[in-house]
Amino acid sequence: MRKLFVAIAVAAISSRAEGQGALSLQGLGYPTGELSARAEGTGGGVADFDALSLVSPASISAVGSPALFFQYSPEFRRVTVGSNTAKTTTARFPMIAGVLPMGQNWTLGLSSSTFLDRSGETSLVRQLPVGAPTELVNVTERNKVLGAINDARLALAWAPTSALRIGFGAHVFSGSNRITFSQVFPDSSKYVSTTQSGRMSFAGFAGSLGLEYRPSSVLGFALSGRKGGDLRAQSGDTAIGSGRLPDHYSASATYEGIPGATISARVAHDAWSSLGTLSSSGTKAFDGWDTGVGAEVTGPRIMQRIIVVRGGARIRTLPFGFNGEKVNEKSFVGGLGIPLTRDRASFDFAVQRASRTAGAGVKETGYILSFGLRVSP
Amino acid sequence: MKLSSFLLRSLATAALFTVVASCSENLDSSGACPILCPAVGGDVQNITLDAVVFDTTVNSLSGLGSESSLILASRGDTLDTRIIIRFDSLPATFVPANQPSTDITTVDSAFIQLKLDTLAIKGAGPYDIDAFDVDTTASDTSSAAILALFRPDRLISTQHLVRADLKDTVKVYISNDVVLAKIQAGARLRVGFQVRSATSTQLRIGSAEGGVPPLLSFRATPDTTTHPLIVNPVSTTPSADKIAASHLTDYTVIAKGPPPAPAGALAVGGFPPRRVYIRFDIPANIVDSTTVVRATLLLNQISNPLLDPTDTVFILPQLVLAGPAVTDPAKAAQVVADISSDTAKVRPGDAGLTSIEMARAFGIWRTQKPDTLPRAIILKSLKEGDTPLEVRFSSVRDVSTALRPRLRISYTSRVPLRIP
Repeated sequence: MRKLFVAIAVAAISSRAEGQGALSLQGLGYPTGELSARAEGTGGGVADFDALSLVSPASISAVGSPALFFQYSPEFRRVTVGSNTAKTTTARFPMIAGVLPMGQNWTLGLSSSTFLDRSGETSLVRQLPVGAPTELVNVTERNKVLGAINDARLALAWAPTSALRIGFGAHVFSGSNRITFSQVFPDSSKYVSTTQSGRMSFAGFAGSLGLEYRPSSVLGFALSGRKGGDLRAQSGDTAIGSGRLPDHYSASATYEGIPGATISARVAHDAWSSLGTLSSSGTKAFDGWDTGVGAEVTGPRIMQRIIVVRGGARIRTLPFGFNGEKVNEKSFVGGLGIPLTRDRASFDFAVQRASRTAGAGVKETGYILSFGLRVSP
Repeated sequence: MKLSSFLLRSLATAALFTVVASCSENLDSSGACPILCPAVGGDVQNITLDAVVFDTTVNSLSGLGSESSLILASRGDTLDTRIIIRFDSLPATFVPANQPSTDITTVDSAFIQLKLDTLAIKGAGPYDIDAFDVDTTASDTSSAAILALFRPDRLISTQHLVRADLKDTVKVYISNDVVLAKIQAGARLRVGFQVRSATSTQLRIGSAEGGVPPLLSFRATPDTTTHPLIVNPVSTTPSADKIAASHLTDYTVIAKGPPPAPAGALAVGGFPPRRVYIRFDIPANIVDSTTVVRATLLLNQISNPLLDPTDTVFILPQLVLAGPAVTDPAKAAQVVADISSDTAKVRPGDAGLTSIEMARAFGIWRTQKPDTLPRAIILKSLKEGDTPLEVRFSSVRDVSTALRPRLRISYTSRVPLRIP
């Protein structure tokens, strides 16, 4: 029965021209979320208030002192299709940021984050007649894609009062996908294997606005939005497609009424379908919601340091569907925040279990570990 | 150590371990194929073309004596070959043990040492190997003049051997008096060998070109404490052509060869060795715009039962590098480059379809226009000149179009690298 299902599924998608071996890598790739390790640890709940996340430009006002931030987030992914399983390890460096307060009210931030990561590799064996019709040969097709679209943001935030923060961001989206496609034949004395490689580059612009308001010492609200401009794709000097960067809107709230704890929630909407016109093979992009809740509580004191413990959950729709179906991702996250060198640096850690589904038969689980290091020089 | 310190250090160690473990990326998710990674490349297109516009058999012009081995054969009416070894420089003096150099006045235990390919021996024996004095002032390349010297008054000696005597190294004893006479006269010693046997016989012997030259050995004194003298073969003629002279230190002379291939047939191998030159006319769009993953020359083999029909001949295709200025196929067939490390294995007595793989030629043709590099290959025997076996094929002039050579090409088109 399982084999029958697999056969039917193969037949159903046989018209697709491309594929990247994982639900999360469909289309232009996986959206990392542009969240810092701290924001990830709360399921994204504090993202709109987090100075190191690339979500709301207003949030950089909260940095307090000049800061440099660097994040490493490897993902250990497991894809199960029927009885077949693929395990991968993807090393991502999704974020680097620098924030500089300027005077009492202004803060400048420059940061770069992975927007859509398409790194993946597949190998498929096909049996083809090569030569005489009866000479069936196992041809191995290897398809390797490396690269991502990155979001570089220059943000300026203004905080006229302690209750209000406003920020503006200018975004440059750029990056490339290096593609290597090989057809490997088994007997080099008889057949010639082929390899072709290419590079697709992307460029686009966007602008963002963020607003943060704290009506009381225990309550906070945030709104942010990013308006996307055109995103162009080209190979060498040839334009191969264009679309619009997705508009993004989010709203968040935090509650700090419980001593030592911050409870946060966030809902965001991404208009990913605006990227659908880039696809040459009809891969469908879906608009989707991104909802997360989390808590950050003061934990135990270890080596004279107060450890912050975080936890949260998140559910979102990934941009690109599989076989016409939306790909949904549910995540449960836990994390720690550890101050270092008398608060001049801090280390944030988050571990996220993300399960992704798109209809029946294909399951994907990813464990994403995030290590963030913030230094105030 | 405090518990809190231990916890923090453990956490740091675990984080470090995880970071290190995740540094080695593994992006391969092939296990999810084919559902999550359907085929990207298209199908392989297979076409068979009557692409051969010209073919012919040409001689291998590597020159008399350039073969890496010598063939001594007596195969009835089919093949009769002799081998010639030239010792044009003989020593006139020697150094006895613990004594000064002295003239050679005696010769003892003279023999010529031959290196034998024991795996290539044909015939059960016994064998009589006759040695003749074949020194002559006739043209170096005149086989007729040499063959005329294989007569009784030129006979130096005869060695009787049985099959068990044929080891890797065979000593053929020759007349001491003849060697001494040549030394004292300052003359050349040129020895021709002929084999006689009641059965069809063929021996493959190492040559100077193959790195194992025949050697002349003799003692200049009966005193066994003095080492025997070893003389390498040397040819002093033709004096104007040192390369040809080098080749003629040892060589094979064909007294009787197999009948040539019928008119219109192509012949590979044989004695003297031959090659097949084939020129193609291939559509430019295939060469320039596709990736040829396999190309097979389809030949109709014609049975040749004359010599060892069930032995294997290894046929090697090579790319012709000669430009259009070289209009003589025989000359163009000498300017070649390897395109395959593999060979087609055929038996001369077989008949029917034979496939020669030549896909790598297209990689070179793609970089050169036909007016710079003609689309031509040759077919040669891997042991060209070392074996009399000859394989025959139908040519493009065959009356039956079904038997003419064809070219089957398998190609893929370039896959557009696009946004999924």
